[in-house]
Amino acid sequence: MNITEHLQRSAALGMGIGMLLLLVLSSWMFRSEELDLGVQQRERSAVLQANALVLAVADTDAVATGARVRLMQQQNPQIESVVIIAGTQMLASTRAEDAAPRQLRREEKPLYDLSNLIRTARETNLGEEVVRKKTIQIDELPKGRLVVTLPYLSGGEYAGILQMQFLVAKAARESGSGYMSVLLLFAALLVGALLRLNAEKRFDPAKLLALAAFLLLALFYQQQGQERLERVMMQDNRAIAAQYLAAAEQYDRLGYLPLRRDVAAANLWDTDHYQRPRGIIAADGSVVAEGEAKQLAQRAGFMRPILWSIDLLAACVLLLFIYGYAARAYAAFRKHLDAYLYVAPAMIGMLVLVFFPFSYGITLAFTDTTLFNESLPFLDRLIGWGNFRTILGDFNIYQETADGFIWNYQNFYWTLMVTIIWTVTNVTVGVTVGFMLAMALNTEGLRGKAIYRVLLILPWAIPNYITALVWRGMFHPQFGVINQVLQMFGMEPVSWFDGVFSSFITGLATNGWLSFPFMMVVILGALQSIPKDMYEAAEVEGASRWQRLRYITLPLLKPTLIPAIVLSVVWTFNMFNIIFLVSGGEPAGANEILVTKAYKIAFEQYQYAYAAAYSTVIFMILLVYGFFQTRITKATESF
Amino acid sequence: MAELKTKNHIWLHIGLISFTLLAIYPVLWVLALSFSGQQSVGLIDLPQDPTFLERLRAILPVPEHWSVKNFTEVWTEQQFGRWLWNSVVISLMTTLLGVFLACTAAYAFSRFRFPGRNLSMLAFLVSQMFPGTLMLIPLFIIIVKQLELGNTYIGLVIVYATTSIPFCVWMLKGYFDTIPYDIEESALIDGASRMTIFWRIILPLAKPAIAITALFSFMTAWNEFILASVFMESEANYTAPVGLRFFVGGFSSQWGYFAAGSVIVSLPVVALFLQLQKYLISGLTAGSVK
Repeated sequence: MNITEHLQRSAALGMGIGMLLLLVLSSWMFRSEELDLGVQQRERSAVLQANALVLAVADTDAVATGARVRLMQQQNPQIESVVIIAGTQMLASTRAEDAAPRQLRREEKPLYDLSNLIRTARETNLGEEVVRKKTIQIDELPKGRLVVTLPYLSGGEYAGILQMQFLVAKAARESGSGYMSVLLLFAALLVGALLRLNAEKRFDPAKLLALAAFLLLALFYQQQGQERLERVMMQDNRAIAAQYLAAAEQYDRLGYLPLRRDVAAANLWDTDHYQRPRGIIAADGSVVAEGEAKQLAQRAGFMRPILWSIDLLAACVLLLFIYGYAARAYAAFRKHLDAYLYVAPAMIGMLVLVFFPFSYGITLAFTDTTLFNESLPFLDRLIGWGNFRTILGDFNIYQETADGFIWNYQNFYWTLMVTIIWTVTNVTVGVTVGFMLAMALNTEGLRGKAIYRVLLILPWAIPNYITALVWRGMFHPQFGVINQVLQMFGMEPVSWFDGVFSSFITGLATNGWLSFPFMMVVILGALQSIPKDMYEAAEVEGASRWQRLRYITLPLLKPTLIPAIVLSVVWTFNMFNIIFLVSGGEPAGANEILVTKAYKIAFEQYQYAYAAAYSTVIFMILLVYGFFQTRITKATESF
Repeated sequence: MAELKTKNHIWLHIGLISFTLLAIYPVLWVLALSFSGQQSVGLIDLPQDPTFLERLRAILPVPEHWSVKNFTEVWTEQQFGRWLWNSVVISLMTTLLGVFLACTAAYAFSRFRFPGRNLSMLAFLVSQMFPGTLMLIPLFIIIVKQLELGNTYIGLVIVYATTSIPFCVWMLKGYFDTIPYDIEESALIDGASRMTIFWRIILPLAKPAIAITALFSFMTAWNEFILASVFMESEANYTAPVGLRFFVGGFSSQWGYFAAGSVIVSLPVVALFLQLQKYLISGLTAGSVK
């Protein structure tokens, strides 16, 4: 009996592979959830201590603040260091080499940036009365170190940030049950081996039985896993409660913060990343049953759809096997082995370096990943559509003030508008100049055509980043050639990169210079293919020059011109190098186009997720454009 | 009538010559700067209150003193030689890898009919629509942060090679399709394996197309700026484009070195471009022109 026949008769292989897939995916899911819970537990413990310390130094003077911070660090072996930054000052530090208080150093600018980031997050939350920006930043360092940064308040007002570094050991866990998986796999194989499939019948009882047995085993396994997770979470809550009580008693003893014994009061220490009390542990250190039930339900609700999709996937694999598709696929694979071997290297490369990053980018857009929290588990960073709401839902394009209104250059719609104007003007300039040159070069009997053509094509041949830098030099406000020419004719020099309009002109000039040769060459090619006798016939009929242009040249150019314009619209829309290298989007980001903006968000502000969402929006715009483009091109083909 | 036509041409020539001068002015300016032997962005030091003529002299793309100092110093004083070497190595490796991957895949697409063929070809085509910035962040995270391949040749090479695959595959497939199948058939009958046919028959026959593909891969890597600037952080690992920007970006302004470096980097590309432009144009607009 060969493999194909075997596959058609027995359900054993299908059951085995399906169950293996289910076990691997589910246990991977449970394992990562457990790891996530472990990380969260460590973070929660760190946040608890950080919140306590911030509250303890909220109303003290500088000297007392320093003393309290140092004492807490000495008494608590988990805390490695504490730093308080207020504005450009380092207010307090437990590290002797810092010699706080002092001014921040230049290499400490990330701390200052972080402080501003948290300040903005806090103000956004307060201003909009919707909590959507994390005010606690947590970063995971190697070797079990955690860095927690949160707002440092003084007298109820934002005064800076407090950053703590912890060394928290991983919590001990009960070990997983590996024998269960082996048992289930064995059961599945056994059921599969006992059933005899009938390949001809669609509703074969054996097939239904196989599916039912499979789903039963699957659900049993996942139920076990869920229950285990719940036990872990309840243990974690008890551990945090104990830790809270110990810390609260310590602060109470030192006279920093009084321990509140009333159950009803909110516990301000055990909070989420938005500094909202979790409501699981009461102020007296007891576990709130309601809050815990809600927490468990939330986690279960999150897990359920994922587990169900795993069930569905594994069941599909099983069905593929018992309905004989696997056998056919295997046969096809054997038959076309050569072809797959030839495609494999390129395909693997594309999957790993093009399609995977693409999906990764889209996924990233739904998180709140930044440079400061990128090592957190993925589930912790997931925020849904928040980034898209921030980008597309912000209509704060201009602000009215006493003297007119000010444009908000950071707004997405401003950048979109600039990008559209940029694209339209550039393509217009490119087509106009290219068309005029092509018409000139197409003149009959013109000498030196080839020389003109080669010289005029040069701008296209030079790498565009070099072109951009050259024009940046020519627009130099003090020594630039262009200002010299202006002064030569008695005009005032222009500081090109300081004005919104003049800065736009620098980009336009550069890109116009670089893009007309393409249009010129394309149009020239099309012009040369227009038969001469058409013009002659028109001339005989008495058509004027204009009429010949309007009724012969332009319609015949259309099939060439439209695709060339379509292409150059995409190029210009994505023309990163020119904006980035010539004006850099100056002044104040007013001349940024979408792609350069996305780059700056990612690599100058380190908001990876926000930049990914921004890029996704750009991709959507291009997709819509691509859709219309095919329709336009199709429409022109019917002419 | 004939007299009128020649007269028209004179005006046309005047127009064309002035426009051409304007158009190649930046090129002349860079050439002048590279041979000027100094670093300032102005070719001439102007006096306090320059006259019209002095200003005119300042904008003429002719250096005050001719010198090859910039060309020699860019090698000896600056790290440009190293950057150029990085670019050469990366571009050549990209070409080799890219062409190999593209050839095998294109051969399979051209000669075999297998399940998933159309889907893969479509996927290759669609991937050309992914915007660079959307790919940049994940690639940065994957290559630099996860795989720790930042500041290495191999990181840039695999990214360049794969991004150039779709274009190369489509181009080569088109060419392979034109090679008659009879040749292969008779070889098969003579007992040659697929591998032998691919290496001994198809590749030699497709030499012209492979040459174009190779040049395309090379130029992609040679002219790329953004990925290189993100991946290569340490100065010693810069590629030529990143290095050229280093000369004039930020706080430094060594325009002389920049100009000399630009000339060195551009020369081969411009020469290749002028040679190959007709293929490039027909490739770009292929399918759109009936």
